[in-house]
Amino acid sequence: MNFWRRRDQSLNEEIQDYLDRQTAENLAAGMPPTDARAAALRKLGNAGLVKENTRAAWGWMWLERLWQDVSHGARMFAKNPGFSAIAVLSIAIGTGANCAMFSAVDALLLRPLPVPRPSEVLSVRSRFNMGYFSHYHLSYRDYLDVRDRSRSFQGLAAYSPLVTAFVADPSATPGDAVPKVLIGALATGNFFQVLEVQPELGRTFRLEEDQVRSRDAVVVLGHNLWEREFASDPSVLGRRVRINGTEFTVIGVAPATFTGLDPFVRLEFFVPTMMWPQLNTDSAQNPLEDRNLHLMAVRGRLQPGVSLAEAGSEVGNIGRSLEQAYPESNRNVQMVVNTEFQTRIEEGPSLGVFSILATILAVAVLLVSCANLAGLLLSRTPVRAREIALRLAVGAPRTRLLRQLLTENLLLAAAGALLGLAVGAGIIRLLQQIQFPSDLPFNLHFSFDGRVLVFSLVVALSSVFIFGLIPAFETMRSDLAESIKNSGAAATDRRRLWGRNALVSAQVGVALVLLTIAVSVYHTFDQGYGSGPGYRTDHLLLMSFDPSLVHYGPEKISQFYENLSDGARKVPGVKSVALTTTVPMNLILHDTATIVPEGYRAPLGGDGEENIQTHWGARVDENYFSTMALAITRGRGFRRTDDAGAPLVAIVNRALADHYWPGEDPVGKRFRRDGHDGPWVEIVGVTPTTKYILPIESGTPYVYLPMRQNPGTRMTLIVESIGDPTVLAAPLREMVSRLDRTQPIYDVMTMEHFYDANAVRMGHVSTSLIGGMGLAGMLLSMVGLYGLVTYSANRRTREIGIRMAVGADPPAVLRMILRQGFWLATFGVALGLIASRVMDASLRAAFPWAIITDVSVHVVVVPILLLVTLVAAYIPARRASRVNPTVALRHE
Amino acid sequence: MATGTTDPRIDLLQGTLDMLILRTLLFGPAHGHTIAHAIEKNSSEVLQVEHGSLYPALHRLVRQGLIAAKDGLSENNRKAKFYSLTAKGRKKLTAEASKWERFTRAVAGIMNPAGGESQP
Repeated sequence: MNFWRRRDQSLNEEIQDYLDRQTAENLAAGMPPTDARAAALRKLGNAGLVKENTRAAWGWMWLERLWQDVSHGARMFAKNPGFSAIAVLSIAIGTGANCAMFSAVDALLLRPLPVPRPSEVLSVRSRFNMGYFSHYHLSYRDYLDVRDRSRSFQGLAAYSPLVTAFVADPSATPGDAVPKVLIGALATGNFFQVLEVQPELGRTFRLEEDQVRSRDAVVVLGHNLWEREFASDPSVLGRRVRINGTEFTVIGVAPATFTGLDPFVRLEFFVPTMMWPQLNTDSAQNPLEDRNLHLMAVRGRLQPGVSLAEAGSEVGNIGRSLEQAYPESNRNVQMVVNTEFQTRIEEGPSLGVFSILATILAVAVLLVSCANLAGLLLSRTPVRAREIALRLAVGAPRTRLLRQLLTENLLLAAAGALLGLAVGAGIIRLLQQIQFPSDLPFNLHFSFDGRVLVFSLVVALSSVFIFGLIPAFETMRSDLAESIKNSGAAATDRRRLWGRNALVSAQVGVALVLLTIAVSVYHTFDQGYGSGPGYRTDHLLLMSFDPSLVHYGPEKISQFYENLSDGARKVPGVKSVALTTTVPMNLILHDTATIVPEGYRAPLGGDGEENIQTHWGARVDENYFSTMALAITRGRGFRRTDDAGAPLVAIVNRALADHYWPGEDPVGKRFRRDGHDGPWVEIVGVTPTTKYILPIESGTPYVYLPMRQNPGTRMTLIVESIGDPTVLAAPLREMVSRLDRTQPIYDVMTMEHFYDANAVRMGHVSTSLIGGMGLAGMLLSMVGLYGLVTYSANRRTREIGIRMAVGADPPAVLRMILRQGFWLATFGVALGLIASRVMDASLRAAFPWAIITDVSVHVVVVPILLLVTLVAAYIPARRASRVNPTVALRHE
Repeated sequence: MATGTTDPRIDLLQGTLDMLILRTLLFGPAHGHTIAHAIEKNSSEVLQVEHGSLYPALHRLVRQGLIAAKDGLSENNRKAKFYSLTAKGRKKLTAEASKWERFTRAVAGIMNPAGGESQP
């Protein structure tokens, strides 16, 4: 501040100097001393204005004015703490909801690929239908053809994620080097080059390292793996690691930012595709040659000047020529070019639906809070109008006053945004509780990063600006003389009041929609949990294996699982033991079964393949149903004798039976496995329908196949304990290492933990989030109605005074004021009911199973909302009815 | 400040004050009062400079780096601010002067077409 003062002083001296000289001159010209000074002042002009204009020339004036506006605004808000608190809280709730929504949608769908210029990266995908599920990847051969024939791309790279057994130090004794189960990727030689990812250490692949089959055993480690297994040791280059039994030389480390191209999986290392024969655990498969194995995800950047449509039609043509050249494998396989966003939507359509739903909710909350803010600011219009009229009258320019109103809005926005960020950060922390319980690097990373920050600030600022400007203009427009004369009671502007009424009604309507959704979701989850999963979750320990990773052949694998369950059964404290390919509630790696039910015609005729249906399923042993406490309601369970030599059998759940054979006994019915030419399988038993993927699902068809007839490589051992299941982990591990010291074990946890993390916590987070939004909407609309009734009651103070003076009693006045609130609330509720019916229909279309909104929800929600809004209207109405008539009439 | 049609003095055109200040300082450093009087005198008192408007202009020119301000002592031993032309200001003046010349010639051409036959 010293600088300013010195500058001001210097200016004063300069002006003084001028005046002195001019006075001296005037004296010299013969003026009398009394006139000389006055003439000098006249010659200068308005000294104050001169100083002011000069200060403006310094270029700091705007800052000074800003400071004035800010401090004035802060004083105004401090004088009205209730108003300020509600306004800031409104913005905070709106911003916070949107901050969290953006973080969630960003994590699920929007976050750009971790490569330079990510928007340029496109995917080439193939499309062919296989019942429920579609496949999108290319076979390696198809990839080569597209890469070599296409002219649209600067380069096309491909990769294929792979679950592997990884040993960081192969020189250690076998007992110390138990492999870890990791997800890495086979990647083409140009992978890093096309994506423009520079290694953090060492180098990436050379093109020639991916040209000769099985020659170049090199690996680029992911940053996370390097940190975890090698303690970020820079001397890791040149070291050897063992992956699926083959030794690889470390040539580089990928940067920390690059975790692969899949949003939910962190790839731990990269090896050339030509090493596939070494890593492949199924010797019957030949992924480098077989066009039926669609395993490669293909990405590339376009040549400059080539459009997405051009690339798409070129790739489509290549696809068609491949269909002709290889009808066996490529019939009905279309090829397309997609943007990253299209790809993500296609791979997770429910993510798109969730994102839209979350966005609608967040925008609704934002609208309610903005309406609130606008209402609050409007209700201050008459108060501010007097102040502003006064300032206009003493000569303040309108632009200056408008700027001050905007500055005040900005101040509100800043405070609201700060609080909103805190709210958002809290919600994001809640979201972060969602974790997939697995050793494998699946992750859903909700973060509070720069993108989220910028988005939230933009939301806060723009909403305050847009909704703050209207009241500001309103205030500015006000009639000067009228405003100074009184506090606005006489000038009842019908149009203005109508706008406010509509605002509050809409608020109540949106609150009803939010509450309806919240109650429905709560209701759905409550029912989902109330009925329980349908199987046991207590006293169970899970342990997962994949012996193919250490190169077991099919026979050795079956033998291993035989020995494993026998060995586990002998461990003290074990009650029973079962094996399955899929534990229920596994959201990520869930087994499926493709069936063609006998005698079933799909309702809609298509190309004749519509009868091939893929359903969720599991391959289990004969002890699975008893260990999981699942009943067999008809027919029989699996037997030990249901092996490769016996007739093929299956057990289905009630939902599947009712779907294909309604009203008939499913036992004895048959379906073909895997397709029209597949073997017949007979249904021998039925189990009740339980929960398989989500706790809120209902009626999901499910197929169980006996593992002896349908061997799998990756299986989970389920051990039922007599006491605490966790104490069994150590003896079981010991037992496994006696079978094979190098056998990798992963995902050791109790079923309770697994179920809690996959089902319970996710439900808890969803209900708290959506419930919170409903509550926020209700509170905000309460505040809105309260504000409006207060405002109109204040405007009518004089009228009320007169009414009471001529004999109206307080209850009559109370009724009069309350009536307005009641009509607004009723109208809002009607609006909300219509909106929620519309919403519901579209939700039902998008989410076939999730949300049940029945009339009972409205029966709960409507009275609550009406009651709450009436209370909000009652408080100011009561205050108005207690006005002392003499005081009210003296109001002026 | 009513300026009747018979008043021989005219208001300054927008932006010309800066040029006049620069031109005045070409003779050497001066303080505010001197500059105001120099402009008035040299224009045979036709150009009317409101002395007050001189100071914002001076400070603006300082900020633009066209002139420099220096604290010094005036003849009666008071602290006073002397303004002087900078190299940048000199260049600016040359550019402005030629622009002004072209401007006046163009205006003159329109006002007196074909060699100065002016309307009475």
